Amino acid sequence: MTIVFDLPDLATRLDACTSDDLDQLDFGVIGFGPDTAVTVYNAFESQAAGLSPQRVVGQPLFTNVAPCMNNFMVAQRFEDALEQNAALDETIDYVLTLRMRPVKVALRLLSAPGNATRYVLVRRQPK
Amino acid sequence: MTDGLAQLSAEYEALIQFLYLAPVGLVQLDADGEIAMINPIAAQLLMPHSRDGGLDNLFVALQDVAPDLRSQCGQYAAQSGKICDGMHVHLHAGSGGAKRMPQILSITLLKLDARRIMAVIDDITEQVRRECRQRQNDAWLNAVLTGITDYALASLDAEGRLCEWNPSIGRVTGFGPEAEGRTYAMFYPADAITPEHARDRLREADADGWALDESRLLRADGTAFWGSVMIAPLPEADREADLGACGDGAAYCLILRDVTDKRDIAERRRREAFSDHLTGLANRRALFEATSQELARSRAAPRPSAMIVIDADHFKAVNDRYGHPGGDAVLQHLAAILLDVFREVDVVARIGGEEFAVLLPSTDLAHALDLAERLCARVALDPVSFDGQAIVCTISAGVTVALDGHVGVDLLIKQADQALYAAKRAGRNRAVAFQSECIDLEAREAIDGV
Repeated sequence: MTIVFDLPDLATRLDACTSDDLDQLDFGVIGFGPDTAVTVYNAFESQAAGLSPQRVVGQPLFTNVAPCMNNFMVAQRFEDALEQNAALDETIDYVLTLRMRPVKVALRLLSAPGNATRYVLVRRQPK
Repeated sequence: MTDGLAQLSAEYEALIQFLYLAPVGLVQLDADGEIAMINPIAAQLLMPHSRDGGLDNLFVALQDVAPDLRSQCGQYAAQSGKICDGMHVHLHAGSGGAKRMPQILSITLLKLDARRIMAVIDDITEQVRRECRQRQNDAWLNAVLTGITDYALASLDAEGRLCEWNPSIGRVTGFGPEAEGRTYAMFYPADAITPEHARDRLREADADGWALDESRLLRADGTAFWGSVMIAPLPEADREADLGACGDGAAYCLILRDVTDKRDIAERRRREAFSDHLTGLANRRALFEATSQELARSRAAPRPSAMIVIDADHFKAVNDRYGHPGGDAVLQHLAAILLDVFREVDVVARIGGEEFAVLLPSTDLAHALDLAERLCARVALDPVSFDGQAIVCTISAGVTVALDGHVGVDLLIKQADQALYAAKRAGRNRAVAFQSECIDLEAREAIDGV
Protein backbone atom coordinates (compact mmCIF):
# COMPACT_ATOMS: atom_id res chain seq x y z
CA MET A 1 0.00 0.00 0.00
CA THR A 2 1.39 3.36 -0.96
CA ILE A 3 2.00 5.93 1.70
CA VAL A 4 0.36 9.24 0.92
CA PHE A 5 0.40 12.53 2.82
CA ASP A 6 -3.12 12.36 4.23
CA LEU A 7 -3.32 8.69 5.09
CA PRO A 8 -4.97 8.06 8.49
CA ASP A 9 -2.77 6.68 11.26
CA LEU A 10 0.28 7.68 9.28
CA ALA A 11 2.77 7.84 12.17
CA THR A 12 2.59 4.10 12.73
CA ARG A 13 3.34 3.44 9.05
CA LEU A 14 6.22 5.90 9.00
CA ASP A 15 7.66 4.28 12.12
CA ALA A 16 7.75 1.01 10.22
CA CYS A 17 9.52 2.50 7.17
CA THR A 18 13.22 2.13 6.44
CA SER A 19 15.08 5.26 5.51
CA ASP A 20 15.11 4.07 1.89
CA ASP A 21 11.32 3.77 2.00
CA LEU A 22 11.06 7.32 3.34
CA ASP A 23 13.35 8.62 0.61
CA GLN A 24 10.88 7.36 -2.00
CA LEU A 25 8.04 9.54 -0.71
CA ASP A 26 6.86 12.59 -2.64
CA PHE A 27 6.48 14.72 0.48
CA GLY A 28 8.88 15.85 3.17
CA VAL A 29 9.26 13.86 6.39
CA ILE A 30 10.97 15.31 9.45
CA GLY A 31 10.94 13.08 12.51
CA PHE A 32 12.13 14.22 15.92
CA GLY A 33 12.40 12.83 19.41
CA PRO A 34 11.12 13.95 22.81
CA ASP A 35 14.08 16.38 23.10
CA THR A 36 13.20 17.84 19.63
CA ALA A 37 16.45 16.46 18.13
CA VAL A 38 15.87 15.46 14.50
CA THR A 39 16.00 11.71 13.92
CA VAL A 40 14.47 11.42 10.45
CA TYR A 41 15.07 13.73 7.47
CA ASN A 42 14.04 12.23 4.15
CA ALA A 43 15.36 12.91 0.66
CA PHE A 44 12.38 15.00 -0.47
CA GLU A 45 12.81 17.43 2.41
CA SER A 46 16.58 17.45 2.10
CA GLN A 47 16.33 18.33 -1.59
CA ALA A 48 13.71 21.04 -1.05
CA ALA A 49 15.62 22.75 1.73
CA GLY A 50 19.05 22.30 0.15
CA LEU A 51 20.47 20.70 3.28
CA SER A 52 21.96 17.23 3.53
CA PRO A 53 20.72 14.98 6.37
CA GLN A 54 24.20 15.05 7.98
CA ARG A 55 23.76 18.75 8.73
CA VAL A 56 20.36 18.25 10.26
CA VAL A 57 20.08 14.90 12.07
CA GLY A 58 20.77 15.25 15.79
CA GLN A 59 20.08 18.99 15.81
CA PRO A 60 17.15 20.49 17.78
CA LEU A 61 14.38 20.99 15.23
CA PHE A 62 12.82 24.31 16.24
CA THR A 63 16.00 26.25 16.91
CA ASN A 64 18.66 24.76 14.61
CA VAL A 65 16.75 23.26 11.69
CA ALA A 66 13.38 24.91 11.14
CA PRO A 67 13.25 28.10 13.21
CA CYS A 68 10.37 29.30 11.03
CA MET A 69 8.16 26.79 12.85
CA ASN A 70 9.16 28.04 16.28
CA ASN A 71 5.88 29.81 17.07
CA PHE A 72 2.47 29.05 18.46
CA MET A 73 1.26 27.67 15.14
CA VAL A 74 3.67 24.71 15.10
CA ALA A 75 6.15 24.33 17.97
CA GLN A 76 3.60 25.34 20.59
CA ARG A 77 1.15 22.72 19.34
CA PHE A 78 3.72 19.94 19.81
CA GLU A 79 4.62 21.30 23.21
CA ASP A 80 0.98 21.47 24.29
CA ALA A 81 0.30 17.95 23.05
CA LEU A 82 3.26 16.62 25.01
CA GLU A 83 2.25 18.53 28.14
CA GLN A 84 -1.37 17.38 27.98
CA ASN A 85 -0.38 13.86 27.01
CA ALA A 86 -2.73 14.16 24.04
CA ALA A 87 -2.56 12.99 20.44
CA LEU A 88 -1.87 15.60 17.76
CA ASP A 89 -2.82 15.13 14.12
CA GLU A 90 -3.46 18.45 12.45
CA THR A 91 -2.84 19.75 8.96
CA ILE A 92 -2.26 23.49 8.55
CA ASP A 93 -1.42 25.79 5.69
CA TYR A 94 1.99 27.34 6.16
CA VAL A 95 4.82 29.06 4.34
CA LEU A 96 8.32 27.62 4.43
CA THR A 97 11.35 29.55 3.29
CA LEU A 98 12.97 26.86 1.19
CA ARG A 99 16.28 28.20 -0.11
CA MET A 100 14.95 31.62 1.03
CA ARG A 101 11.96 31.48 -1.31
CA PRO A 102 8.52 31.67 0.30
CA VAL A 103 6.82 28.36 -0.54
CA LYS A 104 3.24 27.55 0.34
CA VAL A 105 2.97 24.17 1.96
CA ALA A 106 0.62 22.03 3.99
CA LEU A 107 2.16 20.85 7.24
CA ARG A 108 0.82 17.76 8.96
CA LEU A 109 1.75 17.65 12.63
CA LEU A 110 1.80 14.20 14.20
CA SER A 111 2.44 13.33 17.81
CA ALA A 112 0.95 10.62 20.01
CA PRO A 113 1.53 9.71 23.65
CA GLY A 114 3.92 6.83 23.89
CA ASN A 115 5.36 7.30 20.38
CA ALA A 116 9.06 8.03 20.45
CA THR A 117 9.07 9.87 17.12
CA ARG A 118 6.99 12.95 16.36
CA TYR A 119 6.60 14.06 12.76
CA VAL A 120 6.26 17.21 10.71
CA LEU A 121 5.21 16.27 7.17
CA VAL A 122 5.57 18.81 4.38
CA ARG A 123 3.56 18.81 1.19
CA ARG A 124 4.05 21.53 -1.41
CA GLN A 125 0.84 23.29 -2.36
CA PRO A 126 0.06 23.81 -6.02
CA LYS A 127 1.05 27.37 -6.97
CA MET B 1 36.48 19.62 -11.86
CA THR B 2 34.26 17.29 -9.81
CA ASP B 3 36.16 18.33 -6.70
CA GLY B 4 35.54 21.95 -7.52
CA LEU B 5 31.83 21.31 -7.96
CA ALA B 6 31.65 19.36 -4.71
CA GLN B 7 33.36 22.16 -2.89
CA LEU B 8 31.06 24.74 -4.42
CA SER B 9 28.04 22.73 -3.43
CA ALA B 10 29.34 22.34 0.14
CA GLU B 11 29.92 26.08 0.33
CA TYR B 12 26.45 26.75 -1.03
CA GLU B 13 24.95 24.47 1.58
CA ALA B 14 26.87 26.15 4.38
CA LEU B 15 25.73 29.55 3.13
CA ILE B 16 22.11 28.42 2.94
CA GLN B 17 22.31 27.09 6.46
CA PHE B 18 23.87 30.32 7.65
CA LEU B 19 20.84 32.19 6.35
CA TYR B 20 18.41 29.58 7.70
CA LEU B 21 19.84 29.96 11.16
CA ALA B 22 20.51 33.71 11.31
CA PRO B 23 18.66 34.72 14.50
CA VAL B 24 17.01 37.71 12.85
CA GLY B 25 14.36 38.01 10.13
CA LEU B 26 15.59 38.99 6.66
CA VAL B 27 13.34 39.77 3.70
CA GLN B 28 13.96 41.14 0.24
CA LEU B 29 10.96 42.79 -1.35
CA ASP B 30 10.13 44.98 -4.31
CA ALA B 31 8.64 48.47 -4.14
CA ASP B 32 5.12 46.99 -3.96
CA GLY B 33 6.05 44.79 -1.04
CA GLU B 34 6.18 41.54 -3.04
CA ILE B 35 8.56 39.16 -1.28
CA ALA B 36 11.41 37.78 -3.38
CA MET B 37 13.47 36.15 -0.64
CA ILE B 38 12.81 35.49 3.01
CA ASN B 39 14.58 33.59 5.76
CA PRO B 40 12.98 31.34 8.40
CA ILE B 41 12.97 33.75 11.34
CA ALA B 42 11.12 36.30 9.22
CA ALA B 43 8.51 33.63 8.42
CA GLN B 44 8.33 32.64 12.07
CA LEU B 45 7.57 36.24 13.08
CA LEU B 46 5.28 37.09 10.17
CA MET B 47 3.17 33.96 9.72
CA PRO B 48 0.97 34.53 12.79
CA HIS B 49 -0.13 37.86 11.25
CA SER B 50 -0.82 36.69 7.74
CA ARG B 51 -4.55 36.85 7.09
CA ASP B 52 -4.49 34.78 3.91
CA GLY B 53 -1.98 32.20 5.13
CA GLY B 54 0.58 33.37 2.57
CA LEU B 55 3.74 35.41 2.67
CA ASP B 56 3.74 36.84 -0.83
CA ASN B 57 3.72 40.48 0.19
CA LEU B 58 5.29 42.08 3.26
CA PHE B 59 2.93 45.08 3.30
CA VAL B 60 -0.07 42.75 3.18
CA ALA B 61 1.37 40.42 5.82
CA LEU B 62 1.81 43.36 8.20
CA GLN B 63 -1.22 45.44 7.20
CA ASP B 64 -3.08 44.84 10.44
CA VAL B 65 -0.21 45.82 12.69
CA ALA B 66 1.82 48.29 10.59
CA PRO B 67 -0.68 49.77 8.15
CA ASP B 68 1.52 52.63 7.04
CA LEU B 69 4.50 50.62 5.74
CA ARG B 70 3.32 50.94 2.15
CA SER B 71 2.94 54.70 2.33
CA GLN B 72 6.24 55.08 4.17
CA CYS B 73 8.04 53.24 1.38
CA GLY B 74 6.07 55.09 -1.29
CA GLN B 75 6.93 58.46 0.17
CA TYR B 76 10.63 57.74 0.54
CA ALA B 77 12.07 59.91 -2.18
CA ALA B 78 15.82 59.16 -2.12
CA GLN B 79 17.18 56.59 -4.57
CA SER B 80 18.54 54.45 -1.77
CA GLY B 81 18.91 54.56 1.97
CA LYS B 82 17.13 53.68 5.19
CA ILE B 83 13.38 54.15 4.98
CA CYS B 84 13.00 53.38 8.65
CA ASP B 85 15.41 52.21 11.28
CA GLY B 86 14.29 49.95 14.09
CA MET B 87 10.67 51.05 13.90
CA HIS B 88 8.66 49.43 16.69
CA VAL B 89 5.53 47.54 15.72
CA HIS B 90 3.21 46.50 18.51
CA LEU B 91 1.45 43.24 17.92
CA HIS B 92 -0.68 42.56 20.96
CA ALA B 93 -1.60 44.32 24.10
CA GLY B 94 0.48 41.99 26.19
CA SER B 95 -2.21 40.50 28.40
CA GLY B 96 -0.35 37.22 28.76
CA GLY B 97 -1.55 34.98 25.96
CA ALA B 98 0.43 32.26 24.29
CA LYS B 99 3.91 31.74 25.63
CA ARG B 100 5.73 32.15 22.37
CA MET B 101 3.96 35.24 21.13
CA PRO B 102 6.27 38.19 20.59
CA GLN B 103 4.69 41.53 21.52
CA ILE B 104 6.92 44.01 19.75
CA LEU B 105 8.77 43.71 16.46
CA SER B 106 11.49 46.01 15.24
CA ILE B 107 11.47 46.68 11.52
CA THR B 108 14.26 48.26 9.51
CA LEU B 109 13.75 48.92 5.81
CA LEU B 110 16.70 49.64 3.54
CA LYS B 111 16.00 50.79 0.02
CA LEU B 112 18.66 49.37 -2.32
CA ASP B 113 17.31 50.87 -5.53
CA ALA B 114 13.99 51.59 -7.20
CA ARG B 115 13.06 47.92 -7.25
CA ARG B 116 14.57 46.35 -4.16
CA ILE B 117 14.07 46.85 -0.45
CA MET B 118 15.74 44.80 2.28
CA ALA B 119 13.87 44.36 5.56
CA VAL B 120 15.31 43.30 8.90
CA ILE B 121 12.71 42.08 11.38
CA ASP B 122 13.46 41.26 14.97
CA ASP B 123 11.50 40.32 18.08
CA ILE B 124 12.49 42.97 20.63
CA THR B 125 9.82 42.37 23.25
CA GLU B 126 12.22 41.73 26.11
CA GLN B 127 14.68 44.40 25.06
CA VAL B 128 11.97 47.07 25.08
CA ARG B 129 10.83 46.04 28.53
CA ARG B 130 14.34 46.45 29.86
CA GLU B 131 14.85 49.79 28.13
CA CYS B 132 11.55 51.07 29.44
CA ARG B 133 12.62 50.50 33.01
CA GLN B 134 15.97 52.10 32.29
CA ARG B 135 14.31 55.17 30.76
CA GLN B 136 12.18 55.67 33.84
CA ASN B 137 15.28 55.70 35.97
CA ASP B 138 16.95 58.15 33.60
CA ALA B 139 13.91 60.42 33.64
CA TRP B 140 13.99 60.52 37.40
CA LEU B 141 17.67 61.38 37.54
CA ASN B 142 17.23 63.90 34.78
CA ALA B 143 14.39 65.59 36.61
CA VAL B 144 16.26 65.73 39.85
CA LEU B 145 19.79 66.51 38.81
CA THR B 146 20.04 68.37 35.57
CA GLY B 147 19.14 71.64 33.99
CA ILE B 148 17.18 73.15 36.83
CA THR B 149 17.16 76.86 36.20
CA ASP B 150 13.83 77.64 37.75
CA TYR B 151 11.05 75.62 39.24
CA ALA B 152 7.89 76.01 41.22
CA LEU B 153 7.75 74.15 44.49
CA ALA B 154 4.40 73.62 46.16
CA SER B 155 2.87 71.39 48.77
CA LEU B 156 -0.34 69.53 48.02
CA ASP B 157 -2.85 68.09 50.46
CA ALA B 158 -4.04 64.48 50.29
CA GLU B 159 -6.52 65.43 47.55
CA GLY B 160 -3.93 67.19 45.42
CA ARG B 161 -5.01 70.73 46.32
CA LEU B 162 -2.39 73.46 46.68
CA CYS B 163 -1.83 74.06 50.38
CA GLU B 164 -0.44 77.52 49.98
CA TRP B 165 0.78 79.90 47.34
CA ASN B 166 4.42 80.99 47.15
CA PRO B 167 6.41 83.23 44.77
CA SER B 168 7.93 80.31 42.85
CA ILE B 169 4.43 79.32 41.69
CA GLY B 170 3.87 82.86 40.51
CA ARG B 171 7.21 82.97 38.67
CA VAL B 172 6.75 79.75 36.69
CA THR B 173 2.99 79.70 36.12
CA GLY B 174 1.80 83.25 36.62
CA PHE B 175 -0.89 82.17 39.08
CA GLY B 176 -1.39 84.36 42.14
CA PRO B 177 -2.50 83.55 45.69
CA GLU B 178 -5.99 82.69 44.37
CA ALA B 179 -4.47 79.35 43.37
CA GLU B 180 -4.46 78.25 46.99
CA GLY B 181 -6.92 75.42 47.65
CA ARG B 182 -7.33 74.53 43.97
CA THR B 183 -6.24 71.16 42.60
CA TYR B 184 -2.93 70.96 40.73
CA ALA B 185 -4.97 69.91 37.66
CA MET B 186 -5.44 73.68 37.21
CA PHE B 187 -2.03 73.77 35.51
CA TYR B 188 -3.29 71.46 32.74
CA PRO B 189 -5.55 72.40 29.82
CA ALA B 190 -9.15 71.67 30.80
CA ASP B 191 -9.62 68.67 28.53
CA ALA B 192 -6.14 67.23 29.03
CA ILE B 193 -6.61 65.68 32.46
CA THR B 194 -9.58 64.17 34.30
CA PRO B 195 -10.01 64.48 38.07
CA GLU B 196 -9.44 60.72 38.20
CA HIS B 197 -6.09 61.09 36.43
CA ALA B 198 -5.04 63.81 38.84
CA ARG B 199 -5.77 61.44 41.72
CA ASP B 200 -4.03 58.53 39.94
CA ARG B 201 -0.74 60.38 39.98
CA LEU B 202 -0.98 60.93 43.71
CA ARG B 203 -1.60 57.21 44.14
CA GLU B 204 1.36 56.40 41.89
CA ALA B 205 3.52 58.71 43.93
CA ASP B 206 2.42 56.80 47.04
CA ALA B 207 3.21 53.48 45.42
CA ASP B 208 6.49 54.32 43.66
CA GLY B 209 7.84 57.16 45.74
CA TRP B 210 7.33 59.59 42.86
CA ALA B 211 5.23 60.30 39.78
CA LEU B 212 6.62 62.14 36.81
CA ASP B 213 4.72 63.54 33.86
CA GLU B 214 5.73 65.73 30.95
CA SER B 215 2.99 67.47 29.02
CA ARG B 216 1.55 70.74 27.75
CA LEU B 217 0.59 73.01 30.63
CA LEU B 218 -1.07 76.42 30.82
CA ARG B 219 0.00 79.61 32.53
CA ALA B 220 -2.55 81.87 34.22
CA ASP B 221 -2.73 84.03 31.11
CA GLY B 222 -3.68 81.01 28.98
CA THR B 223 -0.34 80.65 27.19
CA ALA B 224 0.97 77.11 26.88
CA PHE B 225 4.32 75.76 27.93
CA TRP B 226 5.89 72.32 28.05
CA GLY B 227 6.15 71.34 31.68
CA SER B 228 7.61 68.57 33.73
CA VAL B 229 5.55 67.80 36.81
CA MET B 230 6.95 65.67 39.58
CA ILE B 231 4.94 64.68 42.62
CA ALA B 232 6.48 62.96 45.61
CA PRO B 233 4.83 62.04 48.91
CA LEU B 234 6.16 63.91 51.91
CA PRO B 235 7.71 61.95 54.73
CA GLU B 236 5.38 61.57 57.72
CA ALA B 237 7.45 63.94 59.85
CA ASP B 238 7.11 66.79 57.37
CA ARG B 239 3.38 66.27 57.14
CA GLU B 240 2.85 66.91 60.82
CA ALA B 241 5.07 69.96 60.79
CA ASP B 242 3.01 71.46 58.01
CA LEU B 243 -0.37 70.93 59.63
CA GLY B 244 -0.75 74.54 60.57
CA ALA B 245 -0.43 75.93 57.08
CA CYS B 246 -2.76 73.51 55.33
CA GLY B 247 -6.22 72.44 56.41
CA ASP B 248 -5.83 68.72 55.87
CA GLY B 249 -2.05 68.78 56.12
CA ALA B 250 0.50 68.73 53.31
CA ALA B 251 0.83 65.22 51.93
CA TYR B 252 2.81 65.72 48.71
CA CYS B 253 5.42 67.96 47.29
CA LEU B 254 5.03 69.13 43.71
CA ILE B 255 7.92 70.33 41.55
CA LEU B 256 6.94 71.98 38.32
CA ARG B 257 9.49 72.98 35.70
CA ASP B 258 9.16 74.77 32.38
CA VAL B 259 11.11 72.51 29.99
CA THR B 260 9.92 74.08 26.75
CA ASP B 261 13.41 74.22 25.22
CA LYS B 262 14.00 70.54 25.81
CA ARG B 263 10.58 69.69 24.60
CA ASP B 264 11.30 69.67 20.87
CA ILE B 265 13.68 66.75 21.10
CA ALA B 266 11.58 64.78 23.56
CA GLU B 267 8.42 65.45 21.60
CA ARG B 268 9.97 64.40 18.31
CA ARG B 269 11.21 61.17 19.82
CA ARG B 270 7.78 60.56 21.30
CA ARG B 271 5.98 61.27 18.05
CA GLU B 272 8.20 58.94 16.07
CA ALA B 273 7.67 56.06 18.41
CA PHE B 274 4.01 56.61 19.18
CA SER B 275 2.40 58.05 16.11
CA ASP B 276 1.03 56.79 12.85
CA HIS B 277 3.01 58.04 9.89
CA LEU B 278 0.11 58.84 7.56
CA THR B 279 -2.40 60.44 9.91
CA GLY B 280 -0.27 61.70 12.78
CA LEU B 281 -2.67 59.95 15.18
CA ALA B 282 -1.43 57.67 17.92
CA ASN B 283 -0.43 54.22 16.68
CA ARG B 284 -1.32 50.81 18.06
CA ARG B 285 1.58 50.91 20.47
CA ALA B 286 0.45 54.20 21.98
CA LEU B 287 -3.16 53.02 22.23
CA PHE B 288 -2.24 49.70 23.86
CA GLU B 289 0.07 51.35 26.35
CA ALA B 290 -2.40 54.09 27.23
CA THR B 291 -5.28 51.63 27.55
CA SER B 292 -3.42 49.18 29.71
CA GLN B 293 -2.26 52.04 31.91
CA GLU B 294 -5.80 53.44 32.17
CA LEU B 295 -7.22 50.01 33.01
CA ALA B 296 -4.54 49.41 35.62
CA ARG B 297 -5.36 52.76 37.17
CA SER B 298 -9.07 52.13 37.15
CA ARG B 299 -8.49 48.92 39.07
CA ALA B 300 -7.21 51.08 41.89
CA ALA B 301 -9.84 53.80 41.44
CA PRO B 302 -12.87 52.25 39.69
CA ARG B 303 -14.43 54.33 36.92
CA PRO B 304 -15.70 53.52 33.46
CA SER B 305 -13.30 53.59 30.49
CA ALA B 306 -14.91 53.56 27.07
CA MET B 307 -13.43 52.19 23.86
CA ILE B 308 -14.74 53.07 20.41
CA VAL B 309 -13.49 51.16 17.37
CA ILE B 310 -14.21 52.84 14.05
CA ASP B 311 -13.95 51.46 10.54
CA ALA B 312 -14.38 53.31 7.26
CA ASP B 313 -17.26 51.80 5.28
CA HIS B 314 -16.54 50.30 1.86
CA PHE B 315 -12.98 51.57 2.04
CA LYS B 316 -11.79 49.04 -0.50
CA ALA B 317 -14.16 50.61 -3.03
CA VAL B 318 -12.61 54.03 -2.32
CA ASN B 319 -9.14 52.61 -2.90
CA ASP B 320 -10.25 50.84 -6.06
CA ARG B 321 -11.89 53.93 -7.48
CA TYR B 322 -9.49 56.71 -6.41
CA GLY B 323 -6.29 54.72 -5.87
CA HIS B 324 -4.17 54.67 -2.71
CA PRO B 325 -3.70 58.47 -2.68
CA GLY B 326 -7.50 58.88 -2.57
CA GLY B 327 -7.73 56.34 0.22
CA ASP B 328 -4.97 58.13 2.12
CA ALA B 329 -6.82 61.44 1.76
CA VAL B 330 -9.94 59.86 3.27
CA LEU B 331 -7.92 58.47 6.19
CA GLN B 332 -6.31 61.85 6.85
CA HIS B 333 -9.68 63.54 6.68
CA LEU B 334 -11.17 61.07 9.17
CA ALA B 335 -8.17 61.59 11.46
CA ALA B 336 -8.76 65.35 11.48
CA ILE B 337 -12.43 64.92 12.37
CA LEU B 338 -11.58 62.46 15.14
CA LEU B 339 -9.10 64.87 16.67
CA ASP B 340 -11.70 67.60 16.54
CA VAL B 341 -14.48 65.56 18.12
CA PHE B 342 -12.59 63.98 21.00
CA ARG B 343 -10.90 65.52 24.02
CA GLU B 344 -7.18 65.94 24.46
CA VAL B 345 -7.26 63.35 27.22
CA ASP B 346 -8.81 60.79 24.87
CA VAL B 347 -6.37 58.65 22.91
CA VAL B 348 -7.25 58.62 19.20
CA ALA B 349 -5.32 55.95 17.29
CA ARG B 350 -5.11 54.34 13.90
CA ILE B 351 -4.92 50.64 14.59
CA GLY B 352 -5.28 49.07 11.17
CA GLY B 353 -5.56 49.95 7.49
CA GLU B 354 -8.86 51.80 7.77
CA GLU B 355 -9.54 51.08 11.41
CA PHE B 356 -9.33 53.60 14.23
CA ALA B 357 -9.84 53.33 17.97
CA VAL B 358 -10.46 55.88 20.68
CA LEU B 359 -9.90 55.36 24.39
CA LEU B 360 -12.10 57.63 26.50
CA PRO B 361 -11.05 57.73 30.15
CA SER B 362 -13.78 58.30 32.75
CA THR B 363 -16.56 57.97 30.19
CA ASP B 364 -19.63 55.76 30.48
CA LEU B 365 -21.23 53.73 27.73
CA ALA B 366 -24.17 56.06 27.09
CA HIS B 367 -21.92 59.07 26.65
CA ALA B 368 -19.45 57.22 24.44
CA LEU B 369 -22.28 55.87 22.28
CA ASP B 370 -23.70 59.36 21.94
CA LEU B 371 -20.30 60.70 20.84
CA ALA B 372 -19.86 57.83 18.37
CA GLU B 373 -23.31 58.44 16.87
CA ARG B 374 -22.58 62.13 16.45
CA LEU B 375 -19.24 61.25 14.88
CA CYS B 376 -20.93 58.98 12.32
CA ALA B 377 -23.42 61.71 11.44
CA ARG B 378 -20.68 64.30 11.06
CA VAL B 379 -18.48 62.14 8.84
CA ALA B 380 -21.42 61.34 6.56
CA LEU B 381 -22.09 65.07 6.06
CA ASP B 382 -18.46 66.05 5.50
CA PRO B 383 -17.10 64.77 2.19
CA VAL B 384 -13.37 64.67 1.44
CA SER B 385 -12.14 66.83 -1.39
CA PHE B 386 -9.60 64.94 -3.43
CA ASP B 387 -8.32 65.76 -6.88
CA GLY B 388 -11.23 68.10 -7.56
CA GLN B 389 -13.78 65.51 -6.52
CA ALA B 390 -15.81 65.07 -3.35
CA ILE B 391 -15.48 61.60 -1.86
CA VAL B 392 -18.40 60.82 0.41
CA CYS B 393 -17.40 58.38 3.08
CA THR B 394 -19.25 56.91 6.05
CA ILE B 395 -18.00 55.08 9.07
CA SER B 396 -19.29 52.41 11.40
CA ALA B 397 -18.43 52.35 15.07
CA GLY B 398 -18.51 49.84 17.90
CA VAL B 399 -18.59 51.05 21.47
CA THR B 400 -17.88 49.25 24.70
CA VAL B 401 -16.97 50.13 28.24
CA ALA B 402 -14.88 48.64 31.02
CA LEU B 403 -16.65 49.44 34.27
CA ASP B 404 -13.49 48.84 36.25
CA GLY B 405 -9.99 47.73 35.33
CA HIS B 406 -10.79 44.03 35.50
CA VAL B 407 -10.80 43.47 31.80
CA GLY B 408 -7.80 43.15 29.49
CA VAL B 409 -6.97 45.51 26.65
CA ASP B 410 -7.41 42.70 24.13
CA LEU B 411 -10.88 41.88 25.41
CA LEU B 412 -11.96 45.52 25.45
CA ILE B 413 -10.88 45.99 21.85
CA LYS B 414 -12.44 42.66 20.89
CA GLN B 415 -15.77 43.72 22.38
CA ALA B 416 -15.67 47.04 20.55
CA ASP B 417 -14.77 45.10 17.41
CA GLN B 418 -17.77 42.83 17.82
CA ALA B 419 -20.03 45.84 18.25
CA LEU B 420 -18.44 47.38 15.17
CA TYR B 421 -19.29 44.35 13.10
CA ALA B 422 -22.82 44.39 14.45
CA ALA B 423 -22.96 47.99 13.17
CA LYS B 424 -21.65 46.84 9.79
CA ARG B 425 -24.21 44.06 9.65
CA ALA B 426 -27.02 46.43 10.53
CA GLY B 427 -26.28 48.48 7.43
CA ARG B 428 -23.18 50.60 8.28
CA ASN B 429 -23.01 54.37 8.92
CA ARG B 430 -24.01 53.84 12.54
CA ALA B 431 -22.69 53.17 16.02
CA VAL B 432 -23.62 50.10 18.07
CA ALA B 433 -22.89 49.37 21.69
CA PHE B 434 -21.40 46.03 22.66
CA GLN B 435 -23.78 43.46 24.08
CA SER B 436 -22.65 40.02 25.10
CA GLU B 437 -24.89 38.53 22.43
CA CYS B 438 -23.17 40.54 19.70
CA ILE B 439 -22.22 38.63 16.61
CA ASP B 440 -19.16 36.53 16.85
CA LEU B 441 -15.96 37.67 15.20
CA GLU B 442 -16.19 34.64 12.96
CA ALA B 443 -18.86 36.47 11.03
CA ARG B 444 -16.33 39.21 10.46
CA GLU B 445 -14.66 37.79 7.41
CA ALA B 446 -17.96 37.35 5.63
CA ILE B 447 -18.68 41.04 6.15
CA ASP B 448 -15.12 42.09 5.34
CA GLY B 449 -15.57 40.70 1.88
CA VAL B 450 -18.53 42.92 1.04
